[in-house]
Amino acid sequence: MGGAIAAGAGLAGLTACSGTGDTGQGGTAGAAGEQDKGRITVWSWQGPAAEMKALVPEFNKKYPGIEVTVEDIGNPAIWDKITTGLAAGGQGLADVLHIGVDYLPGYVEKFPGGLADLGPLGANAYRDAFAQGMWQTVSPDGKRVNALPWEANSAGFYYRADLFEKAGVDAGALQTWEETIEAGKQIKAKTGAHLLGIDKPASQADAANFFQMLLQLQGSFYFSLAGDITLDSPEAVKAMTLIKTMNDAGLVSDLAGGWNALMSSLKQGTAAVLPMPTWFGGIIQEQVPEEAGKWKVRLPPAVRRGGSTAATVNSTHLAVAGASKHQAAAWSFIEFVLTRPASQVQIYKGKGIAPALMKAYDDAVFHEPSPFFGGQKKGEVFLEALKAPSSAFNYTADYARALKLVTDAQSKVLLGGADPAKVLKEAADQLAQQTGRKVSR
Amino acid sequence: MTVTLTGSETRAVPSQGAAPRTRPRRRVAPYLFVLPALLLFAAFKLYPIGRSFVISLHKTVGGTERFVGADNYTRLMGDPLFWTALKNTAVILAVQVPVMLALATGLAVALDSTLLRGRTVFRLGFFLPMVTGLVAYGIIFSVLLNKDYGLVNWLTGLAGLDPVPWLTDPLWAKVSLGLALTWHYTGYNAVILLARLQSVPAELYDAASVDGAGAWTSFRHVTLPGLRPALLLTTVLSTIGTLQIFDEPYVLTGGGPDNATLTIGVYLYQNAFKYFDFGYASAIAYALAVLIGILGVIQFRFLGEKS
Repeated sequence: MGGAIAAGAGLAGLTACSGTGDTGQGGTAGAAGEQDKGRITVWSWQGPAAEMKALVPEFNKKYPGIEVTVEDIGNPAIWDKITTGLAAGGQGLADVLHIGVDYLPGYVEKFPGGLADLGPLGANAYRDAFAQGMWQTVSPDGKRVNALPWEANSAGFYYRADLFEKAGVDAGALQTWEETIEAGKQIKAKTGAHLLGIDKPASQADAANFFQMLLQLQGSFYFSLAGDITLDSPEAVKAMTLIKTMNDAGLVSDLAGGWNALMSSLKQGTAAVLPMPTWFGGIIQEQVPEEAGKWKVRLPPAVRRGGSTAATVNSTHLAVAGASKHQAAAWSFIEFVLTRPASQVQIYKGKGIAPALMKAYDDAVFHEPSPFFGGQKKGEVFLEALKAPSSAFNYTADYARALKLVTDAQSKVLLGGADPAKVLKEAADQLAQQTGRKVSR
Repeated sequence: MTVTLTGSETRAVPSQGAAPRTRPRRRVAPYLFVLPALLLFAAFKLYPIGRSFVISLHKTVGGTERFVGADNYTRLMGDPLFWTALKNTAVILAVQVPVMLALATGLAVALDSTLLRGRTVFRLGFFLPMVTGLVAYGIIFSVLLNKDYGLVNWLTGLAGLDPVPWLTDPLWAKVSLGLALTWHYTGYNAVILLARLQSVPAELYDAASVDGAGAWTSFRHVTLPGLRPALLLTTVLSTIGTLQIFDEPYVLTGGGPDNATLTIGVYLYQNAFKYFDFGYASAIAYALAVLIGILGVIQFRFLGEKS
């Protein structure tokens, strides 16, 4: 019954935000005021908000004239709040906005001028400072800079080493997801734990994270770089078929209810694997500190033998509101938080949030063995992924619509046993009907 | 403007006495008093209504608004999700509203009965759900109905029943939504019916009992006819409310699973604030308004005629 309370707060899940964007245009240049004076507000959520708050005293040593208020709006509440503000022509928006890659192209395209161009404020100096693909995400046309990258999350494979051991499976040797499914059957038989969990009825939009990761490992996405719909590509059908195979074999636990269900599952140890991106390591450490030494991490197995095991599955960014009266001061804060390795190292230490700033990785903290993860150098695992060649993904302004159709299709497969190829084709056709985009087949 | 002015001046010429002058002034006063309300109404109701119609004829392409005529409306007609939303809303309307109103009528009669002690406490108790914040009660229900950790499944589990996937199965999700709505609005409707019930003359009941009518007969022939106007009101209000229903599905199920609880309100919201497709969302709003209008007229015709 204690779980009822855990399941209670319902809404406050961290929606993961994914990949590299491509679309966007327009907007007014930031009216440069005085760079070291003013009162600015920052909107972010939970962990990142706390970390930014912690950086303010140090920021004020350098900029005593800038008063910073960091507000934890919560995720996903922040998206509605930013949308409303942008729709109202910037009224009531904070000066600095924390935006996930899943929302950035939509905001830029649908609300021209809603976000300030950071180029004239000095952003172009950092063009090569971030992980590959990141600059394309924040500056698709190479001219306007809509935001500055913060996190670059790579696909990860967190697993309970003790369960794998008990089942007699060598987790490090798993090369493909097919092999992993076989291993999952063994784990289920020997330990009773599921291989992994999915929010089957898609109570939150991030229910499709795993599907999307399988897609991105194959270098594919919902849209092609040209913006055509690729929702029912062979890669997508392959990804959904893998999920169906796992589910049919009884290896998928239901995480209905989103974030809270995921946390309960984590605490109860119902799944052996958490196929989550970089930032989730910090969450595991925070939620089950007593399980130190039982956890390990590696990059996910490939979808096809010999395929890629690295993909940047999501990223978040800081932007300046186009309506902000203190754009220069806001930029000073963003620059301090995102381009100074010391800030990013401190944030990584606090919440395990993976920086997109490559210079930050020079710090020893990314190369230390982690006692929680069995003495592994967790930071290096993900650094390897960031350095590996990875595809760029075009989120487009219609990502939210595509995601909704994908989660519906996945629910049909997981709850009703539907045929992956059929539901994905329907989803692709419907997306075409709704957006006027071409389906690439 | 000039023409009107000249006209009124010429008309004023024949009688330049005091009376005609004061009369218009007296007429101005009431308008001045309602002017603030009218201005607010115009700014916050009329203008958005009009603006929304204009938006519904536009589409945002590459950051600029483009006039597309009735495109959004034709697109609506061919959108399977809109029809799913409409169907879901219709199911709630057809099942939940009659059940709730029947329950509310029963409740009103019970609360009106002099046999019941502590009636005020009961009335308050049944009305209280109405003042509970929509989101708060949505969250409470989602906790109660959680499949694995919810109180409801825990209780039914004690009775040896299997856990029910309240919010995660397409059919049960609809049932849960109906339960939440009934809990929330029954008391409110009961209070309206109760108010009307108290205006039914006691002599009618006395006369009925003199004629040998039992409890059921006097309910059928005295109470129900007496309640007709209040029933019409609650039916129309519930219909409008149900057609616009948003909070409960949004908080409880997010419209899922697989759009089983997607309502027109939720679909409108998704289009506006998730997909930033304000033109299409406005078209949905107008379709909804037309629908509410049609149903309202039908209900007034059907229920109102006989009163």
